[in-house]
Amino acid sequence: MTGAVHAPAAAAVPALAFRGVAKRFPDGTEAVDRVDFEVPAGSLTAIVGPSGCGKSTLLRIAAGLVPATAGEVAIAEKPVGFVFQDPTLLPWRDVRSNVELLGQLHGVPAGERRRRAEEAIALTGLTGFERHLPRALSGGMRMRASLARALTLQPRVLLLDEPFGALDEITRERLNEELLKLHQAGGFSALLVTHSVAEAVFLASRIAIMSPRPGRIVDWLDVPFDYPRDAALRSDPAFHAVVAKVSESLRRVIA
Amino acid sequence: MSARLRSAARVALPPATVALAVVGIWFFITYVVLAPRRRFLLPPPQDVIRVGILDGDHLNEILGALGQSVAVAIVGLLIATLLGFVFAVAMSQARWVERSIYPWAVVLQTVPILAIVPLIGFWFKFGFPSRVIVCVLIALFPIITNTLFGLKSADRDHHDLFTLNEASRSQRLLLLQLPWALPAIITGLRISAGLSVIGAIVGDYFFQQGSPGLGRLLSDYTYQLESEQLIATVFFCCLLGLTAFWLFGLLGRIVAGWHESYAPAGERS
Repeated sequence: MTGAVHAPAAAAVPALAFRGVAKRFPDGTEAVDRVDFEVPAGSLTAIVGPSGCGKSTLLRIAAGLVPATAGEVAIAEKPVGFVFQDPTLLPWRDVRSNVELLGQLHGVPAGERRRRAEEAIALTGLTGFERHLPRALSGGMRMRASLARALTLQPRVLLLDEPFGALDEITRERLNEELLKLHQAGGFSALLVTHSVAEAVFLASRIAIMSPRPGRIVDWLDVPFDYPRDAALRSDPAFHAVVAKVSESLRRVIA
Repeated sequence: MSARLRSAARVALPPATVALAVVGIWFFITYVVLAPRRRFLLPPPQDVIRVGILDGDHLNEILGALGQSVAVAIVGLLIATLLGFVFAVAMSQARWVERSIYPWAVVLQTVPILAIVPLIGFWFKFGFPSRVIVCVLIALFPIITNTLFGLKSADRDHHDLFTLNEASRSQRLLLLQLPWALPAIITGLRISAGLSVIGAIVGDYFFQQGSPGLGRLLSDYTYQLESEQLIATVFFCCLLGLTAFWLFGLLGRIVAGWHESYAPAGERS
């Protein structure tokens, strides 16, 4: 499969739109090329692809961390939150203080900052761990704290860069379910980069398949399951059929 | 044996065993290797304790010198810390500042301090300020390099987090880089604290004016072949260095207790 594949047209104003985005690094590496797609407002879109295909670069371009060589990313709704693969907690701050960090950087008054932090801590199931340092938390709890921190900004768009990639399968599945609940409750639009096909199918309403470097979107798949979704979906034969379909598409791309 | 006692024994036993071995070798050299008429070269431990520590006059002399050297070392270390910190922060904020200053910091480290001590004496006389300058010259480099290393060691994702949230330069420095650098800064201070003690003694050894410090006593005892007092003075020099090292270790546990290196063994990942 070659050439650009256009994403299904979004009905409403997209929350995020990539238009002809390309990135060539100074050493000549072409990371991504001619990427065009939209993330519809309120949706959860996933990008899957082989390692090193430029998935994370796309997110970093969207976040403004890396400038695109060509094209642009239009963001209709702000603020934009970003969740890294590593929880990026500050190891000298306890959970509450870490969750309050973004408010502190944005000059949110202390009282409001504390209120938002407590709300996000409760939403992510970290109540009771407010005074714990990151080193005293499990990997899953650290990632929950990272999610809580992103939620304090009340993001309209959330960019997720393989946030559960370093976790064990059980923790990962549990956090997937919690992310879905947060997405349903928060009403934000989300773009998730992952190398787990099952995770993409469980979370997203649409999945983009990226080719190896230079990364291009070469296929789109709609996920035919309504929200809310729960853990039982993973046992559904239809779920496995979609996972197989995405995996097959991915295999073709890599081949 | 309780767990706490076992843990204390695990910590104390190895160095205590080494200390016993050293004392054993010391006795062996004094009583077996050295002929009685040459025993002044290494008097036995009990003579060192009796003459150098239990004798009130000698002890007062050593403690007075110790106080003088401590004052020089503390002032020298404070100035080195202030200068090293300011230089390192400036270098971390602008590459051109780093390119301008860092090579000279390396040059400072390579200057043979014994060779320039007499020059410092010529320029600044032979009193307290000259001794402090020697301390500063010896102690400065580890503070600059460790602080700079610490300030630059926050990883890319953490910097990206601050960039994404439009952090100002001062927010990035105060909320990310400085706390991140604390363990490295403390390590630099630990090294420099020991070096400042050496600086105070070296300066004192050369500058024979004013109130005597430990260096001057070492010089006097050497010329007078008073080995007991000489060894007792060396013992106090080591004690001073060890105390400085321990104090900064304690400071590290207080201000950078979150860091893996200060975590209890069971909590390390």
